[in-house]
Amino acid sequence: MPTTSATDDRLSKFKNKGKEPSKLRERRIAECVELRKAAKNENFLKRRNITTLPEDADQSPELNTDNHEVTAITIEEVVGDVNSDCKERQTRGCQAARKLLSRECNPPLKEIVEAGLLSRFVEFLGRDDDPSLQFEAAWALTNIASGTSWHTQQVVEHGAVPAFISLLASPMLHISEQAVWALGNIAGDGPAYRDTLIECNVIPALLSRITPDTPVGYLRNLTWTLSNLCRNKNPFPPLSAVQQVLPSLIQLLHLSDQDILSDACWAVSYLTDGANDRIDIVVQTGIVPRLVSLMSFEALTVVTPALRSIGNIVSGSDIQTQVAIDAGVLSVLPSLMRHSKPSVQKEATWAVSNIAAGPAQQIQQLLTCGLLPPLIDLLRNGDFKTQREAVWAITNFTSGGTVEQVIQLVQSGGLEAILNLLTVKDSKTILVILDAINNLFMAAEKMGETDKLCLLVEELGGLDKIEMLQNHENDTVYRTAQALIEKFFTDEEPEGLQTDATEATDTTFAFKTQDVQKTFRF
Amino acid sequence: MELNDGNLQTLTEFMRKTLDPDQSVRRPAEKFLESVEGNQNYPILLLTLLEKSQDNVIRVCAAVTFKNYIKRNWRIIEDEPNKISDPDRTTIKANIVHLMLSSPEQIQKQLSDAISIIGREDFPMKWPDLLTEMVTRFQSGDFHIINGVLRTAHSLFKRYRHEFKSNELWLEIKLVLDTFASPLTELFKATIELCQTHATDINALKILFSSLTLISKLFYSLNFQDLPEFFEDNMETWMSNFHNLLTLDNKLLQTDDEEEAGLLELLKSQICDNAALYAQKYDEEFQPYLPRFVTAIWNLLVSAGQEVKYDLLVSNAIQFLASVCERPHYKHLFEDQNTLTSICEKVIVPNMEFRSADEEAFEDNSEEYIRRDLEGSDIDTRRRAACDLVRGLCKFFEGPVTAIFSGYVNSMLGEYAKNPVVNWKHKDAAIYLVTSLASKAQTAKHGITQANELVNLTEFFVNHILTDLNSQNVNEFPVLKADAIKYVMIFRSQLPKEQLLQAVPLLVAHLQAESTVEHTYAAHALERLFTMRGPNNSTLITPTEMAPFTEQLLNNLFKALALPGSSENEYIMKAIMRSFSLLQETIVPYIPTLIGQLTHKLLLVSKNPSKPHFNHYLFESLCLSIRITCKANPTTVGSFEEALFPVFTEILQNDVQEFVPYVFQVMSLLLEIHTSSIPNSYMALFPHLLQPVLWERTGNIPPLVRLLQAYLEKGAATIASSAADKIPGLLGVFQKLIASKANDHQGFYLMNSIIEHMPTESIVQYRKQIFILLFQRLQSSKTTKFIKSFMVFINLYGVKYGAIALQEIFDSIQPKMFGMVLEKIVIPEVQKVSGPVEKKICAVGIIKILTECPAMMDTEYTKLWTPLLQALIGLFELPEDDSIPDDEHFIDIEDTASYQTAFSQLAFAGKKEHDPIGAAVSNPKILLAQSLHKLSTACPGRVLSMLSTSLNAEALQYLQGYLLAASVQLV
Repeated sequence: MPTTSATDDRLSKFKNKGKEPSKLRERRIAECVELRKAAKNENFLKRRNITTLPEDADQSPELNTDNHEVTAITIEEVVGDVNSDCKERQTRGCQAARKLLSRECNPPLKEIVEAGLLSRFVEFLGRDDDPSLQFEAAWALTNIASGTSWHTQQVVEHGAVPAFISLLASPMLHISEQAVWALGNIAGDGPAYRDTLIECNVIPALLSRITPDTPVGYLRNLTWTLSNLCRNKNPFPPLSAVQQVLPSLIQLLHLSDQDILSDACWAVSYLTDGANDRIDIVVQTGIVPRLVSLMSFEALTVVTPALRSIGNIVSGSDIQTQVAIDAGVLSVLPSLMRHSKPSVQKEATWAVSNIAAGPAQQIQQLLTCGLLPPLIDLLRNGDFKTQREAVWAITNFTSGGTVEQVIQLVQSGGLEAILNLLTVKDSKTILVILDAINNLFMAAEKMGETDKLCLLVEELGGLDKIEMLQNHENDTVYRTAQALIEKFFTDEEPEGLQTDATEATDTTFAFKTQDVQKTFRF
Repeated sequence: MELNDGNLQTLTEFMRKTLDPDQSVRRPAEKFLESVEGNQNYPILLLTLLEKSQDNVIRVCAAVTFKNYIKRNWRIIEDEPNKISDPDRTTIKANIVHLMLSSPEQIQKQLSDAISIIGREDFPMKWPDLLTEMVTRFQSGDFHIINGVLRTAHSLFKRYRHEFKSNELWLEIKLVLDTFASPLTELFKATIELCQTHATDINALKILFSSLTLISKLFYSLNFQDLPEFFEDNMETWMSNFHNLLTLDNKLLQTDDEEEAGLLELLKSQICDNAALYAQKYDEEFQPYLPRFVTAIWNLLVSAGQEVKYDLLVSNAIQFLASVCERPHYKHLFEDQNTLTSICEKVIVPNMEFRSADEEAFEDNSEEYIRRDLEGSDIDTRRRAACDLVRGLCKFFEGPVTAIFSGYVNSMLGEYAKNPVVNWKHKDAAIYLVTSLASKAQTAKHGITQANELVNLTEFFVNHILTDLNSQNVNEFPVLKADAIKYVMIFRSQLPKEQLLQAVPLLVAHLQAESTVEHTYAAHALERLFTMRGPNNSTLITPTEMAPFTEQLLNNLFKALALPGSSENEYIMKAIMRSFSLLQETIVPYIPTLIGQLTHKLLLVSKNPSKPHFNHYLFESLCLSIRITCKANPTTVGSFEEALFPVFTEILQNDVQEFVPYVFQVMSLLLEIHTSSIPNSYMALFPHLLQPVLWERTGNIPPLVRLLQAYLEKGAATIASSAADKIPGLLGVFQKLIASKANDHQGFYLMNSIIEHMPTESIVQYRKQIFILLFQRLQSSKTTKFIKSFMVFINLYGVKYGAIALQEIFDSIQPKMFGMVLEKIVIPEVQKVSGPVEKKICAVGIIKILTECPAMMDTEYTKLWTPLLQALIGLFELPEDDSIPDDEHFIDIEDTASYQTAFSQLAFAGKKEHDPIGAAVSNPKILLAQSLHKLSTACPGRVLSMLSTSLNAEALQYLQGYLLAASVQLV
């Protein structure tokens, strides 16, 4: 049975797969199962509006936002008010519902839905004659849509989408803004509703609200909603929608507000998290230099998505990667690799691992820009997730680098650092290191220096560790370790002799050819 | 099979018979059970028996039978029939957990194994309720049941520790976490509480502690792949309880047994592993807990005794500290001088002591001792762990640690000096400490290659090592002697040459020591010293420097082989080999005696070959004796044959398979030394070498081919005249070899020798058949290796018999064959030929085809002329094409693996590379120029016109270079 390397599944995520096996890049694994807590620095899919308005405090004491008092209002009362024909009661009921839905703990989303209020709320969205009713209804619906998929589904199925889209055009800025928010929650639910919105032409309606006079707060909400419209894979948002959003996104990326920049960068990171043609659309806009400069922004909320976007781009083709390199990404990455946050170190190292999977010229640029010292430092002292990325970087480097580059890697301590990681508690990482060692030996063979490398590996304690791996419980790991030992470390020691039972039949072999002669064709 | 009493009765009877000591009763019963196991209900009957049988023996027997049945049959293999009916599968899964948990322990273990086998196939998708069923048992409060569940869970989950991350695996883990993590945590807390309430009840504690150990193991498996959200949220619960358990001591749980680890040790050892896992993989989250664990583990180490039962715990605990102290952000936990001092004093030094268990191994189990001490199979030992901790600490604190240890070393040496007889172990520990402190990098070939500069190795050698080696009584304090010898050996690259030379005669003297470890170390140390390189690629220690000790060395080495326990000591035999190789012609006077001893040894070991390394070095030593002696005087070859042939004959006659390939190699070496015709003794053996039975063993093939080549080189004429009837058999060997992808190159070696040496008239009748066989193989399975060898062969043929003969024989087999071979094989593939001699043969052969074969000029083959010339110039100028087609990659590995493992090549029986063309052609490029010149004068204008119309410009430029170098011009 041919042994397919278990690193194949990861290798197939590298972009150049099939073109040339030695130059493969890593791609973020799509929709993978996670055991960990969701990453703390990712941005939100949905948000509930729990702000309190200044006028709330001025209102009657029993409607004070103080949670204990709000609970005094029962759902029945709300239902009664909302369903009545009296405008004042409608507004009061809507507001009460909105406040219930805005309280910090256990908002009664389900109860409100089950009380059958959604169709009324949606109806109120169209009440251009009564802006405050419109506003309260929009807010209540926003918060319901911020719940689970089921909640969002209820909102959509009651016809809220077209109503909200019309509401975007409201002359009242705060009402329009609430609609933006609600639409963001709906878009954040997943690809299906995202595309429903896109089909309802939400994008032009949103973009038309971006003017030089639009207040920052409004723009923040809008950028976030746009980012949700760019988000999610399987399927990706339609190309036409991406084309529509991009110019405005670029515009937003040149503002200076931290929240806007953060969400705009997240949007770009979603758009670049795909096949090379998706990445290309973004790269073509010329935004890469700006993204690179945002990687050095002071706020982590901007750095993280900017780094993610660039990481995605360098997982693209060699040409796309070169655009990022030309934009100076290599002079920013070293400081990010030394960032105080391990998660930033990890993302930066991931980007380096992808650049290291490029052609030798790009590897040379990594060397020239001094990325080797921080990389090796992370192999030694980084946290485990970062070490794992760094190991990939080394393996990619050794498979695509020239002999001279590989020598430089070894001389800078790269070999020692990966050998020390052979005791790591992760089978895949071990296998990737063994791959790197194998690559180093192939380079050594080219120079006729196999013996020297053998001694070096042994001196650095690597041989002991590889020998120990022959007892590893993972089949592929132990077989790979065994193959390395057999191929490079068994010179003078004789092998055991094979003893085969044989049957003697004759004293000599016969020498004869078959009588039937075929025509030979080679 | 119905589920009824009758069948239960029948099964019971047969099952009882399977336990019968009488084979004639047992076998048929086993056969019967096998014959009915395909029936529906069979496994259900077994389960019924193991649950309800009155006879306990039958219950256990049914349980074992059931487990084996599951092991053989549960897995559904694609394209094979389902061996267990679906209703049976469902019934088994519905009942087995309950059955397992309600059975006594003996049966529980079998069923637990069965569950994990089934689980491996069916869990989670096809057995969704397994976990919930197990989890509900946690509520039972019965720890017999709970431990059953935990054990089963452990066998289901432990694969998470080594499998590769995949979505499928992580989905399973996620599912397990969702149902299992929270109940497990509750169980953990409840069990700990119960431990407190039952703190004085030893029986309860035993069960509870085994539960805790299992829970800790499950924790390890579930946390291995990544840090699960649940455990991150509950880290406080787990870690503070783990920490408490580490510091816990309960007198009741301490065991008297010195060897076997007790429950407390097992639990703490697993907790160390858990802490190490978190420290390595989830550093960020674990940071707040780490210092506490360092302190607890440290205290644990200080209090653990020297007994063997603590070994695993101590080595795990030390390894934990070693891995933490090298990390920069934990440096501060160790840097305080007092901390360092007490680590050195209380953790490192005590664990480096030579214990009574070590002493026993040294005396009674020397092979094991040597393997651990010399070859580094001491991975789990305390000494090794302590060494690793020293190295870890030296990363940041080399200066202070060295200073602290220097103090200890001095005081231990002081203790020793006061009363060596009582305190010799102190010196052993001191030497070990110096060694672990000084060595920073080490290889088998050179010993320690980088040393701690703060340790004065030479001074220590002079003051403390040399003194031991100098002592008159080699048998006094054998452990210290062995330590001293080892010191010389491992620090050989660090010590000045004069010290090594001082040590050599002392090492020679220690070859006589009674202690196996001691004389083995002496032999090994000498062997290593003799392989050290000096200036100009010569050996560091020269034969001249060895001259005063040569006789003593050889004497003592051979005498050492007579010491009890060392009659097949591979270290000594290797030292003999290395001594011969170093001393070269200085050993010639001793050879007549030594060869007798070696031959005698060979005769003895050939009765029952058991030590492959020893035997290998023995044959190497024989080869060296022959080569060294015959180099000075080739006529002595006869005396070696006289000495060796009787033993060789016996080996061949008794078919000692391990030795046969060696014998052929030595015989090749001997035969190749002969300058005149082949001796009769060899010719008598010739027919036997062609016996198929010998060729069936892959390990024989390379040495046999080489031996036959030697026969052809020295005795082709004799074979042709007196053994002509054997020629078909010889060709039969060729035919067998080229049929195999693994051995075809060996077949070509043989054929090349036949073509080169056999008189033309004795093979002329077979030529056509030879080519037909090659064409058949080419047609049926064309591999790169075969094509390379094939091209060398046809070109050699052309060189020997001329290009016309080559073309004619091809075309006589099939019209236009010659052109087809050139076009499809030679022109596209010649670039792949490797090896200077092989390339030269191909070049000269192709030159002949281009310039001495009229068909190339006058027939339709003419169109191939320029492409062939172009390919030839490519062969001269382009880098070798070492690519192989994708689909061949795996074939080669499979086919050659068996040959590599089976064949033990003797380094000192090596053969010089043979160049059949030799000096006749020194530069093929010049030959090409001259031959083309000759051709162009024979048919003026044609060559030039062919060159100018179709040879590419680059090739033409190279060609002009050759013409210029040969000072000829084409016309």
